[in-house]
Amino acid sequence: MPRQPERFDPRAILGALERNHVDYVLIGGLAQVIRGADITTTSVDICPSFGPGNLERLAATGAELGATTSDGGAVELTDATIGAEPVVSLTTAVGALRIIGSPAGAPKGFVDLRRGASKEHLGHGVQPQVASVGDLARLASALRRPHDVERLAQLRRIIELDADREPRPVGSTEPARKPSRSASRSARRLTR
Amino acid sequence: MRAGLSQIALAERSDKDRVQIGRYEAGTVAPSLDTLGDLVRACGFDLSLELVPVDEASVSALAELQQISPERRVDRLLDRLAPDGGS
Repeated sequence: MPRQPERFDPRAILGALERNHVDYVLIGGLAQVIRGADITTTSVDICPSFGPGNLERLAATGAELGATTSDGGAVELTDATIGAEPVVSLTTAVGALRIIGSPAGAPKGFVDLRRGASKEHLGHGVQPQVASVGDLARLASALRRPHDVERLAQLRRIIELDADREPRPVGSTEPARKPSRSASRSARRLTR
Repeated sequence: MRAGLSQIALAERSDKDRVQIGRYEAGTVAPSLDTLGDLVRACGFDLSLELVPVDEASVSALAELQQISPERRVDRLLDRLAPDGGS
């Protein structure tokens, strides 16, 4: 019987990933929340590096968390298992951990996403690398599920708000500045 | 990208300059609405534009979330998920 998490504690999952030195970029709903989206989620979605030893460290994290497959089976994390499944879903006592090797919209996975990612402090010493809002929008745009479309609208708005928040020169009387070129570029790329 | 066309193929189909298409793709130049429509049609799609009211409540909520730290955004999520949380 599938195990139900007792409570969602993303910091416990992210902390275990950090203790085991797993290289990954946080994506999905939790990353969207961290970037400022007004949504709820109960899973930690990561795009791991396929670099030497990383999947072994990811497997060690799963063992530390007591992770099982969604039907309660044993977890096997290798290049083959992650490559064969678009999403490897693990169940832990503190929430779902979903491993996505090649997310739609980022065919090179970790390599594509790490460029725009940044480390974010989430308290309790947890500092994951979180995908950029532009990359999160690109992933949502590629998936095109109904809830992704709704989230995409929020992510586009966040890109605009980020651009508006850029500091203005001291003494400027301009009411608002145009979005930066990079922000405009990010917004335009979402349509591709 | 969805049409699977190279810049050269798109330039030929749309009768636009390939270098300019490269600029559009890189985001250094924005096409006009007419040009965008031409490019989309050359890819085999149509561009649908629709006026919808701005969801002011949603915009306001997002603006407020931008003012708090990522740590507090996660705390807020967990509060909402708590059994006696907001939603």
